[in-house]
Amino acid sequence: MHELSVTSYLVDAVDTRARELGATRVLTINLVIGERSGIVDDSLRFYFEMLAPGTLVEGAALTVARTSLRFHCAACERDYGPSGFDFLCPNCGAPGEVVDDGSDLLIESLEIET
Amino acid sequence: MSARTVKLVEIAERVLVDNDQVATGVRSRLEAAGVLAVNIIAGPGAGKTSLISRMLAALGGRARVGVIEGDISGSVDTARVLAAGAADAVQINTGGNCHLEADMIERALADLDLSALDLLFIENVGNLVCPTHWRLGEHVKLCLVGASEGDDKPLKYPEIFAVSDVVVLNKIDLIEFVDFDHARFVESVRALNRNAPIFEVSCRSDAGIDALAGWLQAQRKRLGEDFQCASR
Repeated sequence: MHELSVTSYLVDAVDTRARELGATRVLTINLVIGERSGIVDDSLRFYFEMLAPGTLVEGAALTVARTSLRFHCAACERDYGPSGFDFLCPNCGAPGEVVDDGSDLLIESLEIET
Repeated sequence: MSARTVKLVEIAERVLVDNDQVATGVRSRLEAAGVLAVNIIAGPGAGKTSLISRMLAALGGRARVGVIEGDISGSVDTARVLAAGAADAVQINTGGNCHLEADMIERALADLDLSALDLLFIENVGNLVCPTHWRLGEHVKLCLVGASEGDDKPLKYPEIFAVSDVVVLNKIDLIEFVDFDHARFVESVRALNRNAPIFEVSCRSDAGIDALAGWLQAQRKRLGEDFQCASR
């Protein structure tokens, strides 16, 4: 929903880090993006192609690892995803506790050329 | 000429790291002035401006309150909160952006006399998704939902409930008319967030308004004592 803003921050942040690291260019940007973060891959890539020229990230590949909303049921000692109707444990029906809210927006690592 | 080398470097930073740095600066300025900032996040029509107006009335002379109004366009909300007794108010028009960012708050602070304030409400753009990701330098992230929007909001927009410091359910006077399943709502919020207090209010009848105003006052008093929101 807000890929232009996010991608703009992404390009600036990676360009800055790459310069600090003495890179001549960035080959790959490895991202971790939660499924619930409102970021659509196609839009991210579209804006990336638009914003990257003239920076060290021009031509870089984007890899996106997805995380998702996960809960933990203490009684059943297991993790589970939401059913869509509630956040209850599908095994015992008790309410679990969130362990990952699926809203990550992380730059995990960069493959750079120096 | 030296050979080029390729290496993998771990970064492990938020994509929005530059925004977060500006937000940290905003928070430092607020704390130096003893101002508690509350970022209000809600969908359109949940009652953000009404809640601010009722907080102004409930706090009365006990706190000097400033407001930053974020909207895509227009300044009707700024006029409303000034009429309701805000000490100062600044309008931010995002021009289409679906959320406020920290540098917008930094610029708005230039138009506010922080030394004349105790509390600053930041009314984010009406949207339960995008504002979640942008830290603004606030001390309290307040998620507001109206009962008439339905009890399924935590199921559909879980991240905002997961990261909020306080959840406010507004329009409780409408519950009996709109098939709002109260137990289901509370259970869903609790699954996402064990600690955030849930306040149930009506901006029409003033039910619950004093309790929320009291909680905000308590958060304000804790500023300067290594502030960490009480819910964390």
